[in-house]
Amino acid sequence: MVDPSDIFELWRARFGLPDGVFSGYRFFRRAQSIWVLRDEKLPRISYETLGLRMMSLKDRPWKPTTCALQVFGKYATRNTVHLDSVQASRFLAGESQHLPCDCEPGYVVVFYSGEVLGCGLYSHGKLISQLPKERRMASCEDGDGDT
Amino acid sequence: MDYAERYREIIPEFDRFQEIQSCPLAATARINELKIDRSRLLERLRVGGISFEQLGWYSHGIRLSSEKPGKLLDYMLGFIHIQEEVSMVPPLILGPLPGERVLDLCASPGGKTTQISQMMKNQGLVVANEPSLSRISALRSNCERLGALNVVITRYDGRQFPEIDVDRVLVDAPCSSEGRARRDPGIWSRCSPKRSQDLAALQTGLLKRAVKLAKPGGVIVYSTCTYAPEENELVVQSVLDSARLEQVALPGLKECPGLTEWQGRILSDELKLCARYYPHQNDTGGFFVARLIKE
Ligand SMILES: C[S@@+](CC[C@H](N)C(=O)[O-])C[C@H]1O[C@@H](n2cnc3c(N)ncnc32)[C@H](O)[C@@H]1O
Repeated sequence: MVDPSDIFELWRARFGLPDGVFSGYRFFRRAQSIWVLRDEKLPRISYETLGLRMMSLKDRPWKPTTCALQVFGKYATRNTVHLDSVQASRFLAGESQHLPCDCEPGYVVVFYSGEVLGCGLYSHGKLISQLPKERRMASCEDGDGDT
Repeated sequence: MDYAERYREIIPEFDRFQEIQSCPLAATARINELKIDRSRLLERLRVGGISFEQLGWYSHGIRLSSEKPGKLLDYMLGFIHIQEEVSMVPPLILGPLPGERVLDLCASPGGKTTQISQMMKNQGLVVANEPSLSRISALRSNCERLGALNVVITRYDGRQFPEIDVDRVLVDAPCSSEGRARRDPGIWSRCSPKRSQDLAALQTGLLKRAVKLAKPGGVIVYSTCTYAPEENELVVQSVLDSARLEQVALPGLKECPGLTEWQGRILSDELKLCARYYPHQNDTGGFFVARLIKE
């Protein structure tokens, strides 16, 4: 188990999350990742995953996952980028693009029409999409339709 | 398709049943309230010009005319999950409540797991079990896309799931999938009594374990997407010494009662409380659902 206030401090420092956003959750470290789960008593059995993988500590700086930003990123007050529809399509396709913005270099929360699309990397005036491959929306690839 | 002939006596309006097998199914999706309010999602679809129809019997179900709903931005954002219409039934019959502990014994790819998580308002704990490693990745990716924060994934053979206390258990068992034939017509050619017998052994093992794990008074739902009585009523009958059945019905969705007789064999009369959903009665896939209360 990981101290929730350590996790919160990282997110507050980078994204300006308000207090309380992480209350009611607990955090686990496995290998180089942090996972977030509803704070509930866990039966003592073995687990493949615990909740949602929210960040990677593998490299510096730490990197938030797109799925965690889609849940918690809407509370961000700093290092956010708002795209128009052309920019959003590029981002969704996994591309990089030049984009003037006042973010600090590093990971940013990418918004489009009020919704969080996911994680971007802002570096040297470029926004580099960090969407995982299976979440990208390249123009004519197959969507999946599981039941 | 000839294999379906064995159901002529048990499926009402059998000719219509046969006819609809070759009609493709409309795409349906569930609105994921873990991430977005229902009204806001409906508004987004309207504004985005995406045509849809609400399901009459379930406020969170929609029918989409899009050929590839998996390509919608709303899908990528985790606002909707593509899920066959009658596959939304078992979680509703399970009726999980916020704060409970629920076991989903055969979970991947997680359509029902995430529906349960949503019904629990992301509170309590959903233990989603799936023995197949390759299928765990789909389960995980759906849970993450849909923003489920109360789900843990385990990897056991469900028949040997370790002893834990649970309020409710869903057994959405591996089956011969005859009810999916409108999506995949090749299914009928893979069906045989022998295959159903083999599956029934596994299904019985899973359901017995589920009943064992539930607390007294706890709810167990057993479901399959097949018509084969060997995999449905005969499996449920095997646990009626330790659990009793309750009626399965949802207003607005037509069901047929479970069978109390099959191939000359008389089964427990209680089994009529189970529900059989047929494709020609609601224009859906096929499903079987039983709700049990542990004694
Ligand atoms: C019908 S599918 C479940 C669909 C899922 N409930 C959903 O709604 O998305 C049945 C699942 O049971 C799994 N399974 C197979 N053998 C099993 C066993 N011995 N114990 C538990 N699950 C098993 C299969 O790998 C498959 O993923």
